[in-house]
Amino acid sequence: MRNADLSCSHWHSRCQSRKRARPQSLEQGITLRGSTDIVAEFFWFGINSILYQRGIYPAETFTRVQKYGLPLLVTADPELVKYLHTVVGQLKDWLCMCSVQKLVVVISNLENGEVLERWQFDVECDKTARDDGAPREKSLQAIQAEIRSVIRQITAAVTFLPLLEVSCSFDLLIYTDKDLVVPEKWEECGPQFIASSEQVRLRSFTTTIHKVDSAVAYKSPVSD
Amino acid sequence: MEDLGENTTVLSSLRSLNNFISQRVDGGAGLDASASAPGSLQMQYQQSMQLEERAEQIRAKSHIIQVEREKMQMQLSHKRARVELERAASTSARSYEREVDRNQELLTRIRQLQDREAEAEEKMKEQLEHSRQCKQSLDAANKRLREKEDGLAEASETISELKGRISELQWSVMNQEMQVKGLESEKQELQEQLDLQLRKWQEANQKIQELQAGQEARTEQEQKIKDLEQKLFLQEQDSAIVKSMKSELVRLPKMERELKQLKEENAYLREMRETNGLLREEVEGLQRKLSRQEKMQENLVDLELEKERLLAKLQSWERLDQTTGLSISVRELDKVRQQLQEEVRQVSAQLLEERKKRETHEALARRLQKRVLLLTKERDGMRAILGSYDSELTPAEYSPQLTRRMREAEDMVQKVHAHSSEMEAQLSQALEELGSQKQRADMLEMELKVLQAQAGPTEQSVLLSREEASELRVKVEELEGERSRLEEDKRRLEAQLEHLTLQGDYDQSKTKVLHLSMNPAREAQQSRRQDQARLQEECEQLRKLVCALERGGPVPADLEAACLPSSKEVAGHGTRGHQDAAAGDGVLADGARAHRAAPAAPGQHPRLPWRPHPRPLQPPDPGLAPSPAASPAARPCARPAAQPCARPSARPCHPALRPALRPALRPALPPHSELGGGSAGARGWWRHPTHCTTRTTAARTGGRT
Repeated sequence: MRNADLSCSHWHSRCQSRKRARPQSLEQGITLRGSTDIVAEFFWFGINSILYQRGIYPAETFTRVQKYGLPLLVTADPELVKYLHTVVGQLKDWLCMCSVQKLVVVISNLENGEVLERWQFDVECDKTARDDGAPREKSLQAIQAEIRSVIRQITAAVTFLPLLEVSCSFDLLIYTDKDLVVPEKWEECGPQFIASSEQVRLRSFTTTIHKVDSAVAYKSPVSD
Repeated sequence: MEDLGENTTVLSSLRSLNNFISQRVDGGAGLDASASAPGSLQMQYQQSMQLEERAEQIRAKSHIIQVEREKMQMQLSHKRARVELERAASTSARSYEREVDRNQELLTRIRQLQDREAEAEEKMKEQLEHSRQCKQSLDAANKRLREKEDGLAEASETISELKGRISELQWSVMNQEMQVKGLESEKQELQEQLDLQLRKWQEANQKIQELQAGQEARTEQEQKIKDLEQKLFLQEQDSAIVKSMKSELVRLPKMERELKQLKEENAYLREMRETNGLLREEVEGLQRKLSRQEKMQENLVDLELEKERLLAKLQSWERLDQTTGLSISVRELDKVRQQLQEEVRQVSAQLLEERKKRETHEALARRLQKRVLLLTKERDGMRAILGSYDSELTPAEYSPQLTRRMREAEDMVQKVHAHSSEMEAQLSQALEELGSQKQRADMLEMELKVLQAQAGPTEQSVLLSREEASELRVKVEELEGERSRLEEDKRRLEAQLEHLTLQGDYDQSKTKVLHLSMNPAREAQQSRRQDQARLQEECEQLRKLVCALERGGPVPADLEAACLPSSKEVAGHGTRGHQDAAAGDGVLADGARAHRAAPAAPGQHPRLPWRPHPRPLQPPDPGLAPSPAASPAARPCARPAAQPCARPSARPCHPALRPALRPALRPALPPHSELGGGSAGARGWWRHPTHCTTRTTAARTGGRT
């Protein structure tokens, strides 16, 4: 587990060092690169929070870190960390190209593959930011406050979501533009809808270049 | 020296003289012998006497000179001597003074030396005394030194004694430090135990608080239930009342409806009456219009006849033109016609204006006449009043009241005048407006007539336009209805689209969904399938073994061998497969402890070795669940012992509660396995398959045997 801790903290420190290396882009304004970093970081912590809150992985495999002024739990499992790194890294590249439309965390029953929950994050990219390089005026604290409220809502959503009584696994789907080149190790798949679902829209946050809306869809509980 | 020089010259001259003389004497002697003359001898004697005289003179002179020379020399020598004397005197004086000075100096030196001697003697005395004192002090110091040496010797003796004691004390200190270290280590251990106890206490407190909160919630909910029951009772009462009132209320709307109907009928009848009046007026107006229209039609017919005649004339003229060659173009005719029409319009406008003027003048005249009548009436009235006043006044006296009344009356009159003038002004404005409206109406009628004359058809166009307007209105209403329907459809579709996008739908032509090929769900499914296959194989082999054992015959060696490694695999893969769902290293301790706590399953085949977890640390496979083979089999394996696999496949500890319980459970790791089944649920979920698989197989084998 030490390796996992190191890798997780290393990635975290890499994020922070990247921030330190370009303090101007984040303090003077939000550039496209800075915005993708913020959004990718949010996804990293958000997915980890969802995995912890929904009990997809045992609680002992999570370590506590401080982020956005909240104590958040991130996984220390090296395989999982590696998988998340791969996905979030690719997501970052696609965010820079403004080709990402949604990121979906699909939680499905392990036995029959039935989808039980869908955490959907819609990404709207301001394509004009790709063309002109002027940084946008928005303070990092404001963005972090918005992200904080979203993550708090994810944590609070557990209170109304139905209980996951079976063992579950998760998958990450990314909705991209049709003309995007599919890298190797990636493949197309179906959207994995829930048959009869109820949706709840959660808060959103925006960096003035990327706007991320959150929603959770869960299988309607069958009335007894 | 000049004197000497002179002296030398004198001397030389003397010599020369002497020589001369000597010569002359010889000569003379010689001459004397000659007997020349006695006379020449006298002259010679005279001459010689003269020469002697001269020589004596010269000798005297030279003697004088010599004497003078000597005198001078004497003087000089005298001077020199004097000078030398003076010098010697001076030098002697100086030497004398020097001697005196030296004497004085020597005297002073002597005195000084004497003084110094005296001082030296005193010093000597002092130093002698000092030396005596020093000697005394030295003696004293020597005595003290001796005493100190004695003391030092004693002190050194004591020091040696003390050093001995110090060494003893150090030894004792070291012993005590050793003791202290031991005590400190004990203290640390005790503190750790204390921390553990504190943590336990805190957990207990938290549990107590949670229980209290639960109890409070329960009491609150009971209160809510009571409130709701009360409300329900009240509502039932209200419903009973309502039912009793309903019958009465049923009558009310009917009455209200009747009332409404009667009111509506009233209003309708009043409106009908008013509309009747209006309609009658309209009818009269329309009848007048009709009469006018009929006249217009007659005019029109006449005009058409004239037009035909004129057309015929025109055609004849055109034929004439064609035959004669006069070129009268249509445009010119149109122009002429338009000019004539404009003239007609202008004339009609003038006519209307003149009519209007006439009417205004007539109205003015009427107004003025009325005003005149009013004024005369007023004047008569005032005259009458004044006459009455005069008649009253002549018998009576002047009084202020009358004057006041007079003034009041005059004010009233002025106000009335002003009011009447305002009214007249308003009336005139209204009449002017009416006149302008009439004029406009007449103008419009004229234009209408003109247009009608131009167009040709008369009333049909108006009717057509009216029909067109009604058709257009109908169309507009239909379109508006369609628009509202379309808007509703649009809103419905947008809501549907929003719903679908929330569900995850997307436009397939613009979007595609990607995911990593090796994602956790797929990996979990693959491992699950592999485990299932493995377990099925194991099951079959064990069944074969059981059959063989049931038969009672010798167990085939290959089966046994296959079963033993398969059981090993069961233990190993079971742990791997089902502990994967468990945590990483944290579970090892729990698993081991749980294993220790679990006795060997009764009925387990003696040959099946009870293997501990061969590979405690495995990278957990994400989200793996107990296999379906194990989960239904877990039911028969329900044992009341403190084993988490007593539960069915459904997880007892809800994931929702897990986050809350996790912090509570984390410190409770050591006693975890001792807790009952319920609280062990969260942690036990990932562990129960391990025990279940081995124990289910054991139970099955045990049951079959």
